[in-house]
Amino acid sequence: MATSIESLPPPGWDGEGLDGLLAAFLPGRLSEIVGSRSSGGGSLLLALLSRATARGGLVALVDATDSLDPVTAARAGLDLRALLWVRCGGRPASAWSAADLLARCTGFSAIALDLGAAGGTAPPSLGTRLQRAAEGSGAAVIVRTPRHLLGGAAALVVSLRRMRTRWVGADQSTPLATHLATRLGGVVSEARVLRSRADPRLATPERVWLIEWRA
Amino acid sequence: MTRIACLVVPGADAQTQRLLLEMALAHSPSVEDGGPGIVYLDLRGLEALFGDEKEIARRFLDTIAERGLSGRIGVAGSRAGSRFAARSGDGITIIPSGSDAHRLGPAPLALLELDPRMAARFDRWGIRTLGELADLPSRGLAGRLGDEGPWLQRLARGEDPTPLRLWTPPPVFEESAQCPWGVETLDPLVDLAAGLVEILCARLSRHGFSADAFEWSCRLADRTAHEGACAPPAPLSDPDAAAALIRSSLEAHPPRAAVEEITLRVRPVRVAVAQPRFDEPSHPSPRQLTAALARLGALVDARGVGSPVILDTHRPDAHQMTPFTLSSSPLDPSPYPQVPSPLDPSPLRGEGRVRGSEVRGSEVRGFEVRGSVLAMRRMRPPRPVEVALAAGIPAHLRAAGLAGRIVAGAGPWRISGDWWTDASFARDEWDVELADGTLCRLARDGCGWRLEAIFD
Repeated sequence: MATSIESLPPPGWDGEGLDGLLAAFLPGRLSEIVGSRSSGGGSLLLALLSRATARGGLVALVDATDSLDPVTAARAGLDLRALLWVRCGGRPASAWSAADLLARCTGFSAIALDLGAAGGTAPPSLGTRLQRAAEGSGAAVIVRTPRHLLGGAAALVVSLRRMRTRWVGADQSTPLATHLATRLGGVVSEARVLRSRADPRLATPERVWLIEWRA
Repeated sequence: MTRIACLVVPGADAQTQRLLLEMALAHSPSVEDGGPGIVYLDLRGLEALFGDEKEIARRFLDTIAERGLSGRIGVAGSRAGSRFAARSGDGITIIPSGSDAHRLGPAPLALLELDPRMAARFDRWGIRTLGELADLPSRGLAGRLGDEGPWLQRLARGEDPTPLRLWTPPPVFEESAQCPWGVETLDPLVDLAAGLVEILCARLSRHGFSADAFEWSCRLADRTAHEGACAPPAPLSDPDAAAALIRSSLEAHPPRAAVEEITLRVRPVRVAVAQPRFDEPSHPSPRQLTAALARLGALVDARGVGSPVILDTHRPDAHQMTPFTLSSSPLDPSPYPQVPSPLDPSPLRGEGRVRGSEVRGSEVRGFEVRGSVLAMRRMRPPRPVEVALAAGIPAHLRAAGLAGRIVAGAGPWRISGDWWTDASFARDEWDVELADGTLCRLARDGCGWRLEAIFD
């Protein structure tokens, strides 16, 4: 029986899925999630924080644009009682300072800085400061930004882009089919590791993670 | 020779009991809390101060009568004897030294407050009074009832050698500082508070307590008062961390006028020291976390630092902030309501099946993808947008920082709720994809179109 090309895994398909990608974010290291709007970067950040709280850890999210949706976070498995949410109200400078402060506080499993859609620029040498603070506190420090900001300070850089969008209740047989859909069903993102100091093999161009995020 | 007085006040609640103990402490330095409505006093050495036993008992009854309470007092050579005397007598009952067993003999056996099984047993034996129990042969009683038999017999004779478990009032952790000249700026006021915190934390440490709340009240020069409070994320007794926390709170809510007096109170709690498990992640130390939160509160708005709690409503983005604490274990089951996914199987949506779609459920091109939840970035507040419609369907969107042709979308998804309150809501929601790939959630109600969120 002939096998359809469509049923073959894409090149570089990683059977470990999301768990394998999450395991690349190591404690005591500065990591960066890069991706444009709606690429799935925010979802990857939520998945990281959820995994940390599921293991009994405390996490901190420095939210530069005050945009976390607690309902979505709870659905993603994030224990909200273990989350320290720092809402910076659209002040990126305060967000960088807050992340720097928290990264020096030992006892958190993960500290995330979500810079939102704008991103802005990183204060000079703050990437190096964050990396040193992460090494001192032992927390996984993760920065979510639309574009690469941290230069060589980040031990891990993961880039995401959206592959496709899934709609629920849509009849795809007509050109306007998506407009007959009921709701957004989810998206599929492609994640690539651009840099990994701990495991350089992750950063090969053939290594790709396809992740479906359900809405 | 031991002489114990027992005060019995029927129907005393916890507040009354505390009052009775404090009044008893004014009469004797050795006082025991005997449970609701029962207070024991050691009368040894009080004759020279207040007179004989009857006079002491009368003074004590007069004192509680001034508070509108009435009770009975028994005085005997033991705690049990004095309790039996108080319960069997009326007003003041004094059993002379050495005659406890003789005087208590006619008293009913019910004074022992036996459990029903034991009471029924003595009833079958025909034992009705304390004296009848006291006269039984001890060896035979031990053979039939075990250790409990001789112990009850000793109580029936008024023999209770256990010493009083002394009650001491819980310490009040409160300190004040006066500054009649009036402190007008924040720094000296914080220094003043830090000095009080240092004294209080030292007292807390001496008693083995930590503080889980700090409260202060200031007397202001304009004859008004300023009050404030703050709570650390975990009980602490470190003065530096507590001072940083109070500084942050005072900076957020400074007094309106010069401060002439400040009073600082702490709420003491005893913290059990537990050995952490090897397999559980370490948590921040209360001292370090308190200092970090205080600095965060100064850096961003203190109201924006905490943990979110989802409110019990279907209104979009309904949540509130609560202080971040270390007390609740992340491993406990979550108290928050489980939010159903729009993709959960539903008969109304044909069990979530997608007709003709290349991507089905958790499959991409026939291969399983380990999925997770798509994050949503909320706009706070929702951003007004201009939406151009084509055949009643959103076709173009323009908002601050976001504009483009809509290439795909879904909706309307009609939601409403809270119609039984003054804050009802009703709206149509659309999920749209712009030409640049941005996925948004739009909402339309009586006020027009708004950008609610961007999926990420």
